[in-house]
Amino acid sequence: MVTKNKGRQKIEMVKMKNENNLQVTFSKRRSGLFKKASELCTLCGAEIVVIVFSPGRKVFSFGHPNVDVVIDRFLNINPHHRHQNNNLQLNEACLNAVVQDLNNHLTQVTEQLEEEKKRNEDLKQKRKDDKSENWWEDPIEGFNLRQLIEFKCGLENFKKTVTTEASKYLQVTGHNFYFGSSSNATFGIFDNDGNTNSELDLFNHRRLVDMNTFSGNHQNMIIPHPSTTPYGNNVIERFAPEHDQNQNQYCFKQERASECDHQPDHPPHCRHKYY
Amino acid sequence: MTRNRVKMAYIENETSRKATFRKRKGGIMKKALELSTLCDVPIAVIVQSEYNSVPEVFPPSRQAMGNVVARWDSLPLVDKTKKMMNQEQFIQQRITKATESCKKVAKENKELAMKEVMYDCLRGDTAPCDLGEDELRDLGGVIDQYIKGLNRRIQVLMRDHASSSTSVVPDADVATSVAMPTAEMGSSSNVKDFDLNQTQSE
Repeated sequence: MVTKNKGRQKIEMVKMKNENNLQVTFSKRRSGLFKKASELCTLCGAEIVVIVFSPGRKVFSFGHPNVDVVIDRFLNINPHHRHQNNNLQLNEACLNAVVQDLNNHLTQVTEQLEEEKKRNEDLKQKRKDDKSENWWEDPIEGFNLRQLIEFKCGLENFKKTVTTEASKYLQVTGHNFYFGSSSNATFGIFDNDGNTNSELDLFNHRRLVDMNTFSGNHQNMIIPHPSTTPYGNNVIERFAPEHDQNQNQYCFKQERASECDHQPDHPPHCRHKYY
Repeated sequence: MTRNRVKMAYIENETSRKATFRKRKGGIMKKALELSTLCDVPIAVIVQSEYNSVPEVFPPSRQAMGNVVARWDSLPLVDKTKKMMNQEQFIQQRITKATESCKKVAKENKELAMKEVMYDCLRGDTAPCDLGEDELRDLGGVIDQYIKGLNRRIQVLMRDHASSSTSVVPDADVATSVAMPTAEMGSSSNVKDFDLNQTQSE
């Protein structure tokens, strides 16, 4: 039976022979064991500690509420009294709430991951199923030299067309794109009709830069003025024309705060990502 | 194997919770034994629950357990805490890993989808003018990637040609015989122009 991995095969319960396999197995199984322990705590409210020594003499440990508490209790063989006092109870409740939050988030992300994986499979399958007569749709490993060169030429031509189409979107009416502030000026990207777009999309800057590198058409190139970008290249302040400079700083912070959910585990900047 | 996905939250139902505890605790002990045997490493597990006043442990023998705990105790604090985690940290780590994975797969999906768009255009089913700004940009990226791949293959084949003394690179022939679809702006490309005569392998 040919299988991708040893997953659904039986393995002997003896020390593994292959050094590399042993290391990989250790890594995976240790992680799995911790995951099981974590789930047991969440589902059943148990307290647990798992200590694992690695083949390389390192130690991994997992504990809920934490390793020390559970070990100490075990070593002292104290009678098992939980809820010693109100403070402890309160701490426990707080901790559980945080953990629950995290678990919910994890569930959400895991579901997303599975969706994307499924989509991945579907897309790959579709490509397999789509048997077309065009030789250039096949994998390039099967091309001979002539075909490679031919397809490359074709693609380069095609790219020119795409570039030309793309540059149509870059119709800025000769104005340069200003970062930086002045209380009298209007800010933002001018759209095709010359109107100000004060709803500055955070993604626009990156898109412009990409367009510049992508398009060979230098006349249309937009050059952001580097010295007047207070927050670096990756960020655009949302300027509203009626605000003065000091207010702009405040506007930005406000925007940041409102856009980020209050999640203690997320640094705010992770919300402002480009796809 | 999974009949219904269990929600990762405290089980309110007493009976369910007790049953789950029993099963999962057993599972953990089994996994601990397997890991310990397969990789020949010391492991200790201590489980404290509402169902038993005495903690349930692995390894089951007092001495074995004592050995592992003693070994743990003797470690300097630095070593202990380096890879120590509680629920919060562990789950956060899992979230981070899952998010990274997700981004990676999503990116690949995007590329795969764009590749389809590229083929659509080359076939003449779509035209670049039908595409939006973002799609055009991504399409450009995919085309670039593809061209890079082609270049790499060309180099490989050139190398092979060069090393084998008999064959000659037919560059003159190729330049004149190229008849690839050129997608005209505003109209879909006429792919019937595509020269399919170049399919014979060398």
